[in-house]
Amino acid sequence: MVDWSQVALAGVWGGLLALERRAFLQAMFSRPLVAATSMGLLLGDPDSGLAVGMLLELYHLGAANLGAALPENDTIAATGCSAAAASCTLSQGAGAIGTPTIWALAIILFGWLGTLGRKVDRWLEPYNTRLARKATARAEHGELRRAVRQNLWGMWPHFVLYAALVGACSVVGYLLGPTVSKLPLQLSRGLAWAYPAMGCGAAAIAARGSHAKHSASWAAGTAVVVALAYAAIAIRRGAA
Amino acid sequence: MSQPPAPSTLETSRPGQVSLWTLLRVFGRSLFLQASWNPQGMQNLGLAYALFPALKALYPDPERQMAAVRRHMAFFNTQPYMAAAILGGVIFHEGRIARGEEGPEQVVAFKSALMGPLAALGDGFFWLSLRPAVGALCAALVPALGAWAALLFLVLYNVVHLALRVQLFRMGLRLGDRLVEQVAHAHLPQWGARLRTVGAASAGAAVAYLAASLGSNQGGKEGAVLAVGYLALGVFAYWLTSKRFGNYALLYLAAALAVAAGAFL
Repeated sequence: MVDWSQVALAGVWGGLLALERRAFLQAMFSRPLVAATSMGLLLGDPDSGLAVGMLLELYHLGAANLGAALPENDTIAATGCSAAAASCTLSQGAGAIGTPTIWALAIILFGWLGTLGRKVDRWLEPYNTRLARKATARAEHGELRRAVRQNLWGMWPHFVLYAALVGACSVVGYLLGPTVSKLPLQLSRGLAWAYPAMGCGAAAIAARGSHAKHSASWAAGTAVVVALAYAAIAIRRGAA
Repeated sequence: MSQPPAPSTLETSRPGQVSLWTLLRVFGRSLFLQASWNPQGMQNLGLAYALFPALKALYPDPERQMAAVRRHMAFFNTQPYMAAAILGGVIFHEGRIARGEEGPEQVVAFKSALMGPLAALGDGFFWLSLRPAVGALCAALVPALGAWAALLFLVLYNVVHLALRVQLFRMGLRLGDRLVEQVAHAHLPQWGARLRTVGAASAGAAVAYLAASLGSNQGGKEGAVLAVGYLALGVFAYWLTSKRFGNYALLYLAAALAVAAGAFL
């Protein structure tokens, strides 16, 4: 059953993070790792938020807003996926915990929101152009305070649209919950395997998107060191 | 060169000078620089909004105030953090204009000359180096720190971001055009190159963790095989990205391969 107060909470937080991404502050509260983790914490499932945020942080690592070029909207992807994953977990009852199956499903279903977000950002640009023209007209009439305050009106469409999108993701998450628990075992296992598989793909994209010289060597070097360390620890535990 | 419009007291200001309170208001409003970003003027409205308290203080005469606001509603675009330096420099120049020490064309030339180079410097350092490095490092630290990794992200990033933003604003206020020399002394491109290496190395560590940890946890007896499979997938994915394979296609391909393997093996 859908908990509408949680849906509203997800929507409001998603809308605020959408503003932080570009319109206000840009202190990186809207980065996938932070945005998804905070969404998970707010909705009562921090594990799902963290897992989704980690993967999407790596996936969107190299994206940058340079000049007039618009990158994919990493924030709506993170808030939408984490809201859906946390809601899906919560819908399975008290004590339910997020699983890689749910995380993978949320990312498969809502990861593309980044592309939709870019289209929405582009779609809202003419509204801001109109605001700028209005501000110029007001300044010419000597209404300076009202002219410069037009700047703040550019934020509300972003807030409303992204809050609605994240709220919708949360509702879909609630509705998916009962279905996920009834998935055939093999499909459920496949989806669970999909989470680390997508994570490895996202990390490869991150290594490439780091813009570092010799990024392949650096990434391969640390991957080997971590894998060997993990294997050594596993062998030691096995021997003990 | 005459003295810049240094703040005298918290709330009062002399002609051609701006109070500390007004400067704080300008800095606070500069955080809304991109609130109405648009393709024509870009950050023009945000700049005028941020500068308005200072322009009001510098030009009590409504005609001069209107002219000042209008000259800052022209096209403006730079990296939003680096804009702090330009804001400070604009207040420096507007103070001189208000005192009759230079013409309005100076401040327009100052903005035009600096916004491009500062944007390139800021984009290279903040967007393409610091943010990916901190993001990848904290993502790789998730297994060790859990949700604290997100907090670490905010702390590491904002210690640098906020300190530089405040410092750039002060440099603009104090130095005007000479801030360029000071910014050059910060060696941001060199720091950026080092940070990008951290990003690549951390991404490699994340691949290894995801493959080794989740692979062995999920694979049961075949855990080692699954872990090696994930590692191989990471290498294959890197190769595909170097061939300009689409990122979404790559993500969904990885998911499809894993779902198929999980369902049929």
